[in-house]
Amino acid sequence: MSWEGIALGLFSLGIIGFGFFWVIRMEYYLGYLWWPYPMALGILFILVSFFIGNEGWSALLGITGGSFIWGATELKEQAVRAELGWFKYNPRRKPDPPGLRWIKKIKAPHL
Amino acid sequence: MLQFAGFWMAMVTFLGIWWGHVGVRWLEAHSPNIWPPIVVLALSGVALNGFSLFAPNLTLAGVSSILGITLMWDALEMYRQQQRVLKKHAPANPDNPRHAAYLAAGKAITEDLLDREPQGTPDVPSAPQRVEFCRATYERREVEA
Repeated sequence: MSWEGIALGLFSLGIIGFGFFWVIRMEYYLGYLWWPYPMALGILFILVSFFIGNEGWSALLGITGGSFIWGATELKEQAVRAELGWFKYNPRRKPDPPGLRWIKKIKAPHL
Repeated sequence: MLQFAGFWMAMVTFLGIWWGHVGVRWLEAHSPNIWPPIVVLALSGVALNGFSLFAPNLTLAGVSSILGITLMWDALEMYRQQQRVLKKHAPANPDNPRHAAYLAAGKAITEDLLDREPQGTPDVPSAPQRVEFCRATYERREVEA
């Protein structure tokens, strides 16, 4: 009997929970237009996981990468939730992400 | 040699969350009674976690446990989704007798309020939000001028 699989499952639960936290914060302070950056970070984590020799560390990196990609898709809906008053709305001007012109040409993904 | 464990974990994490969003919404909207799917999801989650204890390798153990834990969470999300429908935060399905009863009682709506692009302004700002929004707009215009 091996508990490592359950440990990975619990880690995924924790990282998804952390995802809810950072999505709310990131949308509040930076705005949903920053979505390509957590998505790129998630893809980077997954790419790096291919080159980690240890199966366990590779798995942890993969789970983190997958959850960051999901978080990126959640930012747009979070912005709408804040506008609807379901979450705290930040009225201050949010900083423009680098590459805003290109980001605006792509429709922000959501699940 | 490439290590694929991370890739499979990433796939199952993302697909688990995707199902937790899209699948749970669909299942809740089409189930006349939410308890049978809740029981099935919870038991499937327990079974997958049980399997992960005896899986022949770490990748299979991790994949089955991640899927199992997300399915157990989805069982809870089924109930939370029903509450979202009752709070008018999620659309009701008029073809579902349970939702039809909510609609008849004026407790739910069919419109999906989240299905739109962000506008950049609050829809119904509270009084403090209105004051803060006006102040921030004024400051922004001062800076731009």
